[in-house]
Amino acid sequence: MAPGGGMRWATRTGPHVDRTACAWLIRYFIDSQADFVFVDDPDDVPEDATPFDMRGVELSHHDGDCTFETILRRYNLDDPVLWAIGRIIHQADLEDDRFDAPEASGLDALMRGLSMVRPDQEVLDLSAPLYDGLYEYLKRSAVTGRDPA
Amino acid sequence: MPPSDWVLLSYRVPREPSTPRIALWRKLRDLGVAKLGDGLVALPEDARTREQFEWIADEVEQAGGEASIWIGRPGSRKLERALVETMREEIGTEYRDLIALATEAEAAPSKRALGKLRRRLRKVKRRDYFPPPERERAEVAVEALAAAWHRVAA
Repeated sequence: MAPGGGMRWATRTGPHVDRTACAWLIRYFIDSQADFVFVDDPDDVPEDATPFDMRGVELSHHDGDCTFETILRRYNLDDPVLWAIGRIIHQADLEDDRFDAPEASGLDALMRGLSMVRPDQEVLDLSAPLYDGLYEYLKRSAVTGRDPA
Repeated sequence: MPPSDWVLLSYRVPREPSTPRIALWRKLRDLGVAKLGDGLVALPEDARTREQFEWIADEVEQAGGEASIWIGRPGSRKLERALVETMREEIGTEYRDLIALATEAEAAPSKRALGKLRRRLRKVKRRDYFPPPERERAEVAVEALAAAWHRVAA
């Protein structure tokens, strides 16, 4: 589904909701061969890697958007289901009540908890199927116009 | 016990335009920061507080200001106690307001009032780093309102 790639992507250690969702988005919609590295300090980002969700980089929080939304914009991903996920990630990450997304606080708790008991790389592997499921769920609810059973 | 680590945000924003200034002020208030001085605020250090300060620092710079983040410890336990006491005092006021509102709403319980108070309680708890005794009382008061509403709705 995602066009080629095989690039390296770097983000901060201890990925929570925004970073896990971004990694999923990158792997499934931008770079199916994406390789993720985790760093403690922005200076440790490898030269050949694209950093995301870190201070002062392009793929990060911008103009009130969370990183997930920034990536959607930068890569012109206009799938409305991805934007629906973006609203949930926005509320979970920023808690600014910009969107009504009751799923947000549950998702945030799950991702925070997961990053406490599993190493970073594994957190991405374990959270990806959850975002697959969320995508499918929101797609069905968009099609039928109600909460899918 | 030695004083613990705090994350400090030092910032300076242009006086004009005022919109980013106000947005910044709101964000710092929502985070429940301790004000150490002009353009210097602090929070107990952890991954979340550090991240929040990082985003704020980014926004300050985007607004044409200057910001830097530091990790530091109060010079004495006495200073840390005073800092904690001030923060506990301030958050305690917010819990007392909530208790008053919840008690008042119990006279005519509504789902709307309950939702509003629960959201507000959640927000206050999020910026409560050193829970005062009022916290539990506020939780009890809001849940009492929930019970009252369920009795009316049943």
